[in-house]
Amino acid sequence: MVLGIALFGLPLFAMADTNFSGSWVQDNAKSDHVPEPVWLTRAPAGGRGGGGRGGGPGGRGNAEVVMTVQQDGNNLQVTGPQGATRKYTVDGKPYTSATETGIEKAAVTANLQGDTLVIATTRPYGGMPGNVTLQVKEVWALSPDGKILTITTTHTSPAAEKNFKQYFNRR
Amino acid sequence: MARNNVSRRKLFKGALTAGLAASSAPELAFGQAPKTPRGPKRADLPDVWGQDFLCQWSPPANVKRDLTPGPSHIRLSSPHITNKEGTDYASLFKSMRAGGWTACEAASAEWLSRKMPESEIREIKAQLKANDVVFYGIHCAGNIIAPDPDADRWQRHIIDTIHAADEMGCQLVLTHAGSLYPNRNTAHPRNWGREGWNRSVNALKRICKDTAGIKIEIPLEDVISESVNSAWSHKRIREDVGDDRIMAGLDITNQVHCGNVFRMTELLNLNFEVLGEQISYVHAKDLVWNEMLPGLNWAMNGTGVMDYEVFLTHLSRMKRHRNMLVEFLSALEEYQQAQRNIRAIAEKVGVKIYGSQAS
Repeated sequence: MVLGIALFGLPLFAMADTNFSGSWVQDNAKSDHVPEPVWLTRAPAGGRGGGGRGGGPGGRGNAEVVMTVQQDGNNLQVTGPQGATRKYTVDGKPYTSATETGIEKAAVTANLQGDTLVIATTRPYGGMPGNVTLQVKEVWALSPDGKILTITTTHTSPAAEKNFKQYFNRR
Repeated sequence: MARNNVSRRKLFKGALTAGLAASSAPELAFGQAPKTPRGPKRADLPDVWGQDFLCQWSPPANVKRDLTPGPSHIRLSSPHITNKEGTDYASLFKSMRAGGWTACEAASAEWLSRKMPESEIREIKAQLKANDVVFYGIHCAGNIIAPDPDADRWQRHIIDTIHAADEMGCQLVLTHAGSLYPNRNTAHPRNWGREGWNRSVNALKRICKDTAGIKIEIPLEDVISESVNSAWSHKRIREDVGDDRIMAGLDITNQVHCGNVFRMTELLNLNFEVLGEQISYVHAKDLVWNEMLPGLNWAMNGTGVMDYEVFLTHLSRMKRHRNMLVEFLSALEEYQQAQRNIRAIAEKVGVKIYGSQAS
């Protein structure tokens, strides 16, 4: 029995060992652009005028895109390139969280499955009342040497399903 | 034809009760007494917090969202019907229906470009019936108050279109209040003045007079750059023209400016409460504000600021079914995606969209 747990409980060991903490630099050449769901899904908006960030929402150009992850037990905090933070409780239990607009709520579940982290979010598309429902699924996976983080993101709405892949190198 | 008797006073009294607004001393927008009871100082949405020092662009808390579905279904419309010589109408309507589009409209310039023989009109009607598709209207994008002599030319064009629509058994001919510039899409600074308003009223009176006896509805489409761009202006122009055929071709996104872009639920409620059955049919679009200037850009339906749950449930509570034109998208694929979103939202709130969309 003890042997069985030891053998077949491998995911438990992996879960305990997997830690995504660190500073991660996106490999822009390999990575897809993942659109923020608060932006339009049609033609990408172009930057206009001084003071804007240019290149459209989420536009990265050649700039370095750095993401910082702090993982402490079940608590995971992700700080994006522009300082926005996302906090998750990684225990597989669903909870609600405010969307960016602060008007609507999202249902979030974050779960470690083996050595991958799966974050599933169900939310009104743009965070506004009456929006179509958008499901966002992120699957985080570390390379065996822990130096490369791959995030596979799937956006599913009634209109379409879109997949994106991002690669990050540990700094 | 049913008239909606909601007054500004009554509507805003309700808003006050909900703690949303404070109405102020009424003013007459024009030199004559309106039939619509006098209401608040402006035709916009009620005040929200910060009225003495902020642009009131954030929505108030606790906006009423009645998501009770009604019994009326909605027919989705997108591809324009064409009458190009040699059109295979059986294939055209079969294709529309298979794609989930159960209603259609035509563009007036193309529709009037040739005189169709009686046999072709009979064929169109027969194929519409066979495929259960409704050809509800003809869209006139002309400018009925353009500088002379263009105004007269456009008015005569609309009169001809009304006759053509009647011949086809359509429900409506859509037009606009117009602009004082030759190009209707260019906002003229005096579009909202007495002269612009009177030109629109007189143009519509002439159109109604020259088509007297024809029971075609004449909805005006809201356009933010024209005088008819709000619920109250829709109501007032019908009164001033004095003909119940003047209806509203409600395009709620065409009423949007920075001050109300995040208050779509209230804007929908206001329009449906003020106009009610005066809404002849609707356009379905969506938008986001994503630029430094007041840059409002089109978005995929169901992904922007439009409150489609409230929009669809309002429509379902109307006395008869309404047609909804999905427009301003580009590729065929986008129209299919928009339809999937709209159908999904309708299903969520229990509203019936007529027909089905192939997966």
